[in-house]
Amino acid sequence: MLQKKICMLGGFAVGKTSLVRRFVQSIFSETYLTTVGVKIDKKSVALPDKTVDLILWDLAGEDDIGSFRVSYVRGATGLVLVVDGTRAATLAVALTLRERAEAEFGAMPFVLLFNKSDLADRWAISDSEINELRQLGWQLYLTSALSGEHVDDAFRQLASMVTQ
Amino acid sequence: MTSTVDPISLPQAASNDTEIDREALASLLVEIARNVDPDYRARFDGVPTADPRMETLRQLLVGREISELSRVTHLLDEPEQLAAAVGGVLPSAAARAPHAQLGEALAPAVERAVQRSIQKSPRTLTDILYPVFLPAIRKSIGEKIDQTFQSLNETLRHIFTWHGLKWRFEAWRTGASFSEVVLKHSLVYRVEHVFLINRNSGLLIAHVTADNATSEDPQLISSMLSAIQDFVKDSFNEKEQSGLDTIRFGELRLWSEVGPFATLVAVIRGNPPEELHEIVRDVLLRIHDECSQALEQFDGDSSQLAGVETQLQTCVELKQEESNQGFPWLVVAAVLLVLIPAGGWFFLSWQSGQRWQAYVSRLGTQPGIIVAEQKVRDGQFYIAGLRDPLAADPQSLLSGTQVDPARVHSHWRLYQSLEPEFVLKRLTASLAPPDSVRLSIVNDRIVAEGEATATWINQARAAAQQLSAGGPVFDISRVRDVSPEEREAERWQAYVSRLESQPGIIVAEQKVRDGQFYIVGLRDPLAADPQALLSGTEVDPARVRSQWQFYQSLDPKFVLKRLTASLTPPKSVRLSIVEDRIVAEGEAPDTWIDRARAAARQLSAGGPEFDISKVRDVSPEARAAEHWQYYVSRLEAQPGIIVAQQTERGGHFYISGLRDPLAADPQALLSGTEVDPARVHSQWQFYQSLDPKFVVKRLTASLTPPKSVQLSIIQDRIVVVGEAPAAWINRARAAAQQLSADGVVLDVSQLRELSLAELNHLREAIQATDILFYSGKVVPGPEQTAILDRLADQLKEFAQNARKSGVTARFMLTGHSDATGRETANASISAARAETVRALLNKRGVAPELLLVRGAGTFEPAVPENSRTGNSANRRVSVTVNLD
Repeated sequence: MLQKKICMLGGFAVGKTSLVRRFVQSIFSETYLTTVGVKIDKKSVALPDKTVDLILWDLAGEDDIGSFRVSYVRGATGLVLVVDGTRAATLAVALTLRERAEAEFGAMPFVLLFNKSDLADRWAISDSEINELRQLGWQLYLTSALSGEHVDDAFRQLASMVTQ
Repeated sequence: MTSTVDPISLPQAASNDTEIDREALASLLVEIARNVDPDYRARFDGVPTADPRMETLRQLLVGREISELSRVTHLLDEPEQLAAAVGGVLPSAAARAPHAQLGEALAPAVERAVQRSIQKSPRTLTDILYPVFLPAIRKSIGEKIDQTFQSLNETLRHIFTWHGLKWRFEAWRTGASFSEVVLKHSLVYRVEHVFLINRNSGLLIAHVTADNATSEDPQLISSMLSAIQDFVKDSFNEKEQSGLDTIRFGELRLWSEVGPFATLVAVIRGNPPEELHEIVRDVLLRIHDECSQALEQFDGDSSQLAGVETQLQTCVELKQEESNQGFPWLVVAAVLLVLIPAGGWFFLSWQSGQRWQAYVSRLGTQPGIIVAEQKVRDGQFYIAGLRDPLAADPQSLLSGTQVDPARVHSHWRLYQSLEPEFVLKRLTASLAPPDSVRLSIVNDRIVAEGEATATWINQARAAAQQLSAGGPVFDISRVRDVSPEEREAERWQAYVSRLESQPGIIVAEQKVRDGQFYIVGLRDPLAADPQALLSGTEVDPARVRSQWQFYQSLDPKFVLKRLTASLTPPKSVRLSIVEDRIVAEGEAPDTWIDRARAAARQLSAGGPEFDISKVRDVSPEARAAEHWQYYVSRLEAQPGIIVAQQTERGGHFYISGLRDPLAADPQALLSGTEVDPARVHSQWQFYQSLDPKFVVKRLTASLTPPKSVQLSIIQDRIVVVGEAPAAWINRARAAAQQLSADGVVLDVSQLRELSLAELNHLREAIQATDILFYSGKVVPGPEQTAILDRLADQLKEFAQNARKSGVTARFMLTGHSDATGRETANASISAARAETVRALLNKRGVAPELLLVRGAGTFEPAVPENSRTGNSANRRVSVTVNLD
């Protein structure tokens, strides 16, 4: 049994919870997010040589970075950063959260998801910006919680990154 | 080349001596010089002991070393400086030293140092270790206290129960303490799950489940558990290393033990003992011992730690379950089965014994029964004795004692009791005494009293003789010898003598023949009835033949009765019998005295004397006064008459008072009172009585109520009921108001206003009628005759109906003219027309006093005048009806 702790980070209402809702095993209700501040789901990813269970810690999204419970990230081997593609500011929030986590627990692999790709008319992130980030070697995905587009790809990518 | 001085030894020598071996040095230099110049050898045979050049040379050669050496020497020689120097390098030296060797080298010293420190002042080390030990101690103590409380609680809970007793026995048997046994049995629990969780990432390392226990995904649970641990720690700023150690949810408890790298969480259902903490902790320590490296390096791949599951399994197997052995019901039931019947048998036999004894003692108290022997054997009762045949039946006495008759074996021998009661019973049975004889026991003697026939007396005498010696005496001396005929004759004689003693009855002859009784005699009608006297004499009335002739007894009592009936003496006269004479005393009018005197004369010779000499003749004045008083009392009883004063003076009577004019006439009341009106002088003043009867009379006179109204007196209130015209009702109300001031109630609330609906209809018909005239004429044309006839009938009918209802109808005849001609002429012609109609109606039988007349001229036209010829419709007489 191979498991990895993955933290999902992102600003308020970027769609982390709905992103995973359809693709994961879950036994806890979403009220945990508001009470304990974290909700744990599991995503099994089958890689060519093995299967890895990603234990996803969905941390309550907060625009107030100060209230971010960084202690929940302890022991994580990877991050899923989620950005709302229709709100440019959420990119900065996701990156700041990543910095906070890495400052505390060191660098770790991550994937960056630009969510709500179905809302093309309200898209607020320019292609050039995305390309710049790709230039850094980051793994970027345009996802849609509505259609499920690229969500599995992103998890598979992260699974292979954390098991190397 | 040879040398006397070993160069090597030089430094050594030097190190030992600060003074330089100058001689050796000089020798050495000389030697060198000889080697350089052999001549020189010859010249210098010895070496000068003190040559300053040597010192200079030495300084040149090794001056720096010497000073350095002296510094080092000085450093080594001065402990303070040496300590400072070593202190500077010691940390790094220790760090570089091989660990094992350093540890070994230091251990004794450290031990000694610690020992020394503790000996010197334990406080210091305690202070140092305090933060380390405190949490551990606290936790340990907490667990111990919990354990103690748990033990105490459970002990108390079970101390007085059935389990408690059972467990006490077990404790005694096994030698364990009672509380241990209690805990062992009462703490029922089961470890259902054990999670081993990586402390850093919260990832699940291993999970073991007990049989039949289920849970959600253990991976998610373990992460969530550590998330919750973090949450609590963050939320309450808890800095301690340990996390949540107990979470309790109903029956379920989560106990977590925190180790350096992994947390062990046990999920326990039930009520676990506190020692379980230690067991769980031991398991966690063992896991850490065995796999510490694998745990430390855990990166989510649990395959490296497969072995720990067996360790966890030992935790899951922990449980304490309710003993299924249960209570030995079968044994208890068997014992009960034996005990209950046995106890029941003992109770029943005891109870039946009690009952038997009660029965025997009851028999003993019975007269005529002598219990000789009684015993109980094998549940059977045996009794033997004597009994009189007349005594109570021992068998029947059994009923009601609840002794089973089937188990009673009696042996009774009959005997004759000489107790008087039994002798009496036997005598009663054998002699069958007649009803007239009563047998009784008097002082242990049996006494017969009453009347009996000679044969019975003989029998009784024989019986008395038979009574054996020792028995009671039978005394029949008080029984009179009678035969039935004699008794009947006696009764008859008693009746006859009773009759003879009756006043007013004279028995002439009586005899008895063939069972029939004949009696002949005289009786006064006022005497007692002989037939009625028969009752209570036991003489059969059917056998009595009586023949009575009426006569007037001259017995004074009967004479008195007859006189009282015939003379009806006034109350003032009392008749009585004095020495066979009838005496009248008191006062009586002369008429009565005359009658009494006549009666006295009629009383025949031989009869009692009737003495009326003591009756005084009542005076005429007294009689007149009596009559007067009677008249006065009669007046006083009259309503509406109040007698104020009355006197009698000189044969004349004076009376004064008030009388209502509507009351009876006092003069008229005189008649029949035998009071001479000529001697009566009355003085009456009129007043209005408030007696309701008089009020009604006055109201009837003053209000003249219509026939439809009725006045009645109900409980002193005057109630007016019926229908009346509004005007009359108003007058009645006014009267009621006046009367209320005098305290008389006149209730007019039930008066209803007269309905004039029928009259109204007629009134409309009358008022719609017009009698028309030709121009200038005051007599209606012949064509109006029919209208006049009808009008007259209607007027008469209306007047009559109105009168019935108590109202008077009056008819106003108004004459009109058209507008032609002069106004004065028109006025007079209109009045003349009305008069004509009045005369015509009068002629047709309408009472003239009901017909009023007026002339309206042209002022009240029926239709507007618009032509010079005048409108025929305005030449008329109209009728209006007035009611009052």
